[in-house]
Amino acid sequence: MKSLSALRGAAMAALFAVTSLLSLPAAAESAYEAPLPAEINSDPDLCKHVPCAEVVPGADSFSPRKGKPAYVEAYRSEGGQKTLVGYAFLSTDIVDIPAYSGKPVITLIGMDTKGIITGTKILRHSEPILLLGIPESVLTKFIKQYLGKYVGDKIEIGKAREGEAMIGLDAITGATVTVIAQNQVIMRSGVAIARQVGILKVEPKPQIKFAAVNDTLSWAQLVDEGSVRRLTVQPEQLGMPRAAEPYVDMQYGYLNTPSVGRSILGDNGYQSLMTQLKPGEHAIFIISNGSDSFKGSGFVRGGIFDRVQVGQDMDAYTFRDLDYLNLWGVKAAGAPAYKESAIFIIRDPGFSAAYPWNLVFLANKRDRETGHRDFVSFSDEYWVPARYIEGGRPKVVKPDAPWLKVWKARAVEIGLFVALLVAVATVYANRDALTRRSTRKNKWPVNAFKYTFWIISIGFVGFGMLAQPSITQVLTWFHSLLFKWQWELFLTDPFIFLFWIFIILTTFVWGRGLFCGWMCPFGSLSELIYKVAGAIGLKRFQFALPMKWHNRLKWIKYAVFFGLLAVSVFSMGLAEMLAEVEPFKTTFLVGMFNRAWPYTLFVAVLLGLSIFIERPFCKYLCPLGASLAMPSTFRWFGLKRKQECNTCKACAVGCGSLAIDEHGRIDHRECMHCLDCMVLYTDEHACPPLAQERKRRTKAGLPLTPIGKDGYYIPIKPVPAAKA
Amino acid sequence: MIDPRSMTEPVTPPYVGGGALAHIGAEIWDHLWPWSRSGFQRQRAIQAAGLALALAATLVWVLAALGNNLTPGAIIGWWFGWSVFEVVVRLGSKPYVKEGPWWGQRYRKASVMDMICYVGFKNLLIGATLFIGLKSLGLLVI
Repeated sequence: MKSLSALRGAAMAALFAVTSLLSLPAAAESAYEAPLPAEINSDPDLCKHVPCAEVVPGADSFSPRKGKPAYVEAYRSEGGQKTLVGYAFLSTDIVDIPAYSGKPVITLIGMDTKGIITGTKILRHSEPILLLGIPESVLTKFIKQYLGKYVGDKIEIGKAREGEAMIGLDAITGATVTVIAQNQVIMRSGVAIARQVGILKVEPKPQIKFAAVNDTLSWAQLVDEGSVRRLTVQPEQLGMPRAAEPYVDMQYGYLNTPSVGRSILGDNGYQSLMTQLKPGEHAIFIISNGSDSFKGSGFVRGGIFDRVQVGQDMDAYTFRDLDYLNLWGVKAAGAPAYKESAIFIIRDPGFSAAYPWNLVFLANKRDRETGHRDFVSFSDEYWVPARYIEGGRPKVVKPDAPWLKVWKARAVEIGLFVALLVAVATVYANRDALTRRSTRKNKWPVNAFKYTFWIISIGFVGFGMLAQPSITQVLTWFHSLLFKWQWELFLTDPFIFLFWIFIILTTFVWGRGLFCGWMCPFGSLSELIYKVAGAIGLKRFQFALPMKWHNRLKWIKYAVFFGLLAVSVFSMGLAEMLAEVEPFKTTFLVGMFNRAWPYTLFVAVLLGLSIFIERPFCKYLCPLGASLAMPSTFRWFGLKRKQECNTCKACAVGCGSLAIDEHGRIDHRECMHCLDCMVLYTDEHACPPLAQERKRRTKAGLPLTPIGKDGYYIPIKPVPAAKA
Repeated sequence: MIDPRSMTEPVTPPYVGGGALAHIGAEIWDHLWPWSRSGFQRQRAIQAAGLALALAATLVWVLAALGNNLTPGAIIGWWFGWSVFEVVVRLGSKPYVKEGPWWGQRYRKASVMDMICYVGFKNLLIGATLFIGLKSLGLLVI
């Protein structure tokens, strides 16, 4: 693996060198996979490793890390006295929200003593789109929007909606997942620290009122009804070798519930505990097995239990040694044996057991390859069973998942897009009716639809919705399949998600030609340029490569696809960078004039070539086309042919895709479904076998019967005259 | 005379013509078993290489079963190596692919690219099914 890492490192270094030469004058300052000192996660002197002064302007000294989750206090020295001016904190000390890459964007955040965000700085990210697709400065600009905002405000991505007390932030086009994740990171971190230092006051929730239930239950009954729940973390979830024994296997419950408390502690134990609790205080118990301790060692050093906490909404409740009581035993019949136990007291009035809460286990996950440690958390939701709550569980409206918010916010556009996809499939399914209405000289019944779809695809789908499918999505799926499948990752971009459903279905039914030839925004743009150029008098300059050369060059796109696939096995980031062979980002996502000149030049050359050659990129370079061409080998329904097509060249001569060989056979891997050959297939004046038959019948005075599905006139079968 | 309705010349595999169930069974066997008797006799060198590959793969899986970690790179490499080998074997043993819908019974001679497409896609599906199955059973951890 070392040689593999070295190879990858060398390749990455080479590519970084090339890209920095190409486009990124500030590449040296890029936060993409920026190396951070290992001590950043543990050193009490956080500000020795990160630029705290940048995020808390005016501060000249900083305290060691304190609190749980951790933050540092920022001071300004004036007249020999230090004044507290704010706080700085590292996002990964507080939350572990992954961005598009599956890794967190490590952000340093500053806040003043009133809860106003004073600075944000991205220390490290792994977002491929921000490496080459979108300049990193755009993300920097995005997070600058938080400056001056109050952490208690409701801030979301998108436009502020009328009637809602919500501040809207401008998203980054093409990096929706990244900015949604980053918004959660900044706001949750800010709220957590603001709560801890007393800036944000906790609004007390209605406390639980217990119903008159006082039965004593066995352990199995407690588990069955959800009064005892389980949170298990396996060693492999923390980057350690797989083992038979879990890392921690915690079972826990809420002891204030009379039946639960009595079942676990016995009557006396329960009464004793309740007398120790003040009004509004809550007790939970945990018993645990596993190879490690859920208590950790933090409580020995600083009296803080740094591995477990309770979370409710955006609040986190941590435990100090004063919040700890011994659990001397579990009385419930059938209770399991355990290695470790504890009773923790939640003293915060903001906590209410009437509502769901989470037991959270905090840990460090080690990256097997780099050895880098990332903060991770595992949680399990607990809600007191309804029968213990007077009037049952209160109604809780959980906020929509980020991806669902996107779907709801763009419902109209999504509806239109679905209608478009259905319309394209319906039109194509009825191609026979359209091609029969067309002739070689008048293809408008087909082309009117096709050109309309091209224009919609370029304008609405490409430039409007930025829904240009890309090979990077194929690679991402491939990797998600192998490593971690997250539906949320794909659902966050509804247009791409729906487009891929369309692509997969239509590729299996008809081959890749329907997407590539009718709906791909870049493909449509390329062919539209070719058609317009022909229409305005440049036809005499237009040409197709000789079949000999076409048959050689068409393999390049497969090589590009397999090359990218192979590289992605070693480094997804590198593969994403090399996927710049697709001009899609430059054309639609970022804009031709928002990128460094080599990218713009590349697109300009491809589109310029499209004036003279039909779809040069699609035919010879497109890795996405190659990846779709391969399953097209097994499309269910292909285009029709007649036996005479093996000698007749009428269709082959007019085939813009060069997909018809010298024997009249259609290569469905290369066909773009322009349907020109299908128009000829039923054109009795243009299809030589049909024209010949038409002439023969006309000469013989025979009627011209309709053309059957096989492309020939329906035979005339003389019927014996009925006997008089 | 070349039939332009088929990208390559039509072929009839030995199992075509039986009942529906027998046909489905034979097709499943065909997907999973790339060798044929005639091909096996023709491709002696390839079969020797196949035997070596099978031994190597067995060794790797035994090591994995003994608790050694199989890295994702090794698994993908093994999958890729097997797929290349299968393409070569099939071109000698079962050199045909299906034409048209999967429920039909039209077959044609496979070109190298046809076989790459077929084997690549089939093994991707089999690999994905195995991966998801093993992962959901907790037998594979990445």
